[in-house]
Amino acid sequence: MTLSAESTDETLMLLYRDGDAGAFDALYARHKGGLYRYLLRQCRNAAAAEELFQDVWMNLIRARAGYSVQAKFTTYLYRLAHNRLIDHYRKNSHVAMVSFEAEDCEAIAELPDERERPQDETLDAKRQAGRLMELIAGLPEAQREAFLLQQEGSMSVEEIAQATGVTRETAKSRLRYAMVKLRQGMLGWR
Amino acid sequence: MALNERNAGNTSGDAERDPRLDRLYRGAGRDTPPARLDAAILAAAHREVGARPRSLTSTLRRWHVPVSIAAVVIVSVSLVILLREEGGEQIVPAPVPAVAPPAEQPAAPGRQPALAEAARETTQPQAAAPAPPRRGSRDDAKAPAVLGKRADSAQPEPGPPSMSGAGIVATPESAAKPLPQPFLATPRVAEERAAPSPGDAVTAGKMAGALSVPSEPLVARSAAEAPQAKSMARAVQMKPPEQDRLPVWYGFEKEPPQKWLVRIEELKRQGRAVEAEEMLAEFKRRFPEHPLPPGSK
Repeated sequence: MTLSAESTDETLMLLYRDGDAGAFDALYARHKGGLYRYLLRQCRNAAAAEELFQDVWMNLIRARAGYSVQAKFTTYLYRLAHNRLIDHYRKNSHVAMVSFEAEDCEAIAELPDERERPQDETLDAKRQAGRLMELIAGLPEAQREAFLLQQEGSMSVEEIAQATGVTRETAKSRLRYAMVKLRQGMLGWR
Repeated sequence: MALNERNAGNTSGDAERDPRLDRLYRGAGRDTPPARLDAAILAAAHREVGARPRSLTSTLRRWHVPVSIAAVVIVSVSLVILLREEGGEQIVPAPVPAVAPPAEQPAAPGRQPALAEAARETTQPQAAAPAPPRRGSRDDAKAPAVLGKRADSAQPEPGPPSMSGAGIVATPESAAKPLPQPFLATPRVAEERAAPSPGDAVTAGKMAGALSVPSEPLVARSAAEAPQAKSMARAVQMKPPEQDRLPVWYGFEKEPPQKWLVRIEELKRQGRAVEAEEMLAEFKRRFPEHPLPPGSK
């Protein structure tokens, strides 16, 4: 087991567990961006996101000795992040956690019907992306988390379910509603 | 629920990914953590690896198989050595017939080394066995292989003239005779035999005398009989010390007090006062209520 560019995340983590600091560097380089964006877009506060980000990686570093491959590394990493995020929500009780407890699937009715926007309105990609980010921020936390895990962690429904500790059906439902809302919100933005 | 049918239809199947949303999301912004955060985390990761030795579990996991193999090899080798050492006492090689007829030997004086070599070969399995020197039988184990040498080495040692080089051949009968007390393998004697001492030299001389051969015709006979003598001598040596020091009242444990008193009187009559006292003491211990004869109080 040696360090190479083709090494899987799991191999890198095993190497790091066994004392190869270079493996951690490679692992960190692969996942720092996705994890940071996941946290940033979930808590919508750069300072809090940085603190959470550091905590997650420190937890990973501390847990290295007991690491064994039981799931994809991304699932393991984002599971740590999810748990840290839940702690953050609990400590900051002013942060709404409603959507983690109630699925909030009816909220889609409140979205403005973007199809009413003129179809000939052409917007550049930057503005479309901005619109998408607004829509993502407006999603309930659980649905937003499912979407972000799919995008940033390249995770399947099953992996999202594992990382967030819910059933596959729940994860699939959250992701589906998130996609519906985002598609609906972007209908006139093309 | 305001979810219209068209949207529901789009999301019911393979709707977990949307290429357009994926593309838009990719272009939405690639925020990354600040460099100072990267540096802090990487430093912590390197510190963790450098500061702490590998955990015991990971070390064990890595060395699990080699350590297991090494342990098995060590245990196996130890067992083989132990069994060879212990089993060697029981597997006495069958006595081989004399290498050469006695009549031919005087005619060929130059064959003496060859005969000695032959005798050595007959006992080679034991001589070649890598058994470590054992305290009680160190000299005995070498006896068959170094018969000739033993006779030589025994000569300068201070021993009784009748025993040293006197031509005493170790026969089963002679080996079965009661040996002098120091020869018996009590722990103290075993210790003395392990460490070379003048007493040890005397004992070795006696052994050498018992196993040595004064003249050439007896070499072959000795070679043939040496294993028997060796095993018998070892049997004598391996007697438990308790049997060598039987109490004087041995055999009287289940006898009535009267028989004890009769025996004590006998011992006294025979002038064995110490033994009589010993037996009387044991009698008192066993039968404290029994009246003692007038002379014994």
